[in-house]
Amino acid sequence: MTKQENRRQRERQDPHWIEWLTGVVSALLVAAMLGWLGWEAIMRPTTPPDLSIHVVSTERAASGYRVAFDIANTGTTTAAAVTVIGRLIQDGRVIEENPVVFDYVAAQSKTEGAIFFRNNPAAGEISIQPAGYTSP
Amino acid sequence: MADRTASAEDDQSEFSRFITGLGRGVAGALFFALPMLMTMEMWYLGFYMARERLLLLFILNIPLLVVLAHRIGFEKTVSWRDAARDAVVAYGIGILTSIIVLAALGLLRGDMSASELIGKIALQSVPASIGAMLGRSQLGDEDDDTEEKATPYHSELFLMGVGALFLSLNIAPTDEMMVLAYKMTIWHALIVSLLSIALMHGLVYAVSFIGGHELSPETPWWHAFVRFTLPGYVVALAVSVLALWIFERLGDSSAIEIMVSVIVLGFPSALGAAGARLIL
Repeated sequence: MTKQENRRQRERQDPHWIEWLTGVVSALLVAAMLGWLGWEAIMRPTTPPDLSIHVVSTERAASGYRVAFDIANTGTTTAAAVTVIGRLIQDGRVIEENPVVFDYVAAQSKTEGAIFFRNNPAAGEISIQPAGYTSP
Repeated sequence: MADRTASAEDDQSEFSRFITGLGRGVAGALFFALPMLMTMEMWYLGFYMARERLLLLFILNIPLLVVLAHRIGFEKTVSWRDAARDAVVAYGIGILTSIIVLAALGLLRGDMSASELIGKIALQSVPASIGAMLGRSQLGDEDDDTEEKATPYHSELFLMGVGALFLSLNIAPTDEMMVLAYKMTIWHALIVSLLSIALMHGLVYAVSFIGGHELSPETPWWHAFVRFTLPGYVVALAVSVLALWIFERLGDSSAIEIMVSVIVLGFPSALGAAGARLIL
């Protein structure tokens, strides 16, 4: 409890046990968080962004075909302005090429995107590759 | 006859007090919510954020306003019924103010879908309604503040939560918050979290603001630190997690990356929590 007199408040000297219990639990939580952060800060190596792409689905859309994919960054650094280029290859020839840009792919995170193709991807081979990134 | 005039005068003054209260509510809503009304990410969130999370935020705001009204209110609220009425009024002011300001800024147009219009207004009405409620406390008269008032422990924690929510609503939707989390290393996060705790304790106990707290000379400093500051920081972090989740900022990230963004948002949240202890 806090008593308020003339807008200055004085903490009570005989607090209820629940205040101490809350305080101790909070102290443990904060200590655990700081300990975890400290452990990770020391143990986790700094690695550059490492991007990998996994195609999830191909389906018809109003403007051709939508190829949805996941992009994962396994590095411990975030990549910004990640350009991904999707190519549709038929008989060894690139017949369609479309880019998409992700604002960010956070460190050790996954995010989703999609590329549209006018031609049916089933007729050829799709290649979706990260082209580059900048540091945030 | 004399009785009737007296009661008519009473009605008159009660009515004008109510109108004054409404005016203060609008002023409070504008003061507190204008930064959010003029933030681009908040407009976008209005149409892309998941509807169930928006609904949850909208519903969570109701008990929050009721408890806040019970403590500060537009008028001296005594019963929970009055508090509920004040909360509804504050929510109404919040919604109306949001509609008027958004419309005046050209952000509501006829060719937008109903979902976009309602989403934008609903999202903005949450901070605006809290602002409307605080308008009474911050802009109003302080007549009853000289009397001795005791704040129970749980409502002290609740007020810290409100302060934390208020500042996190301001900052969680912005892209800057995420960019900071991406740029920071874990060492930075550690320093920010220690800084947050130190500032929280310092603001309330050390710098002697009006409304600050003091300790009896014989109480060691760490008593208040363990009983108030650390629980307050945990509340601030919990509110940050909630705000990040509601605004879909957590994504599909590893636990440590989420922790860093929670700590970044925890910094303003912690200051909001400390501020609430001073002000409310």
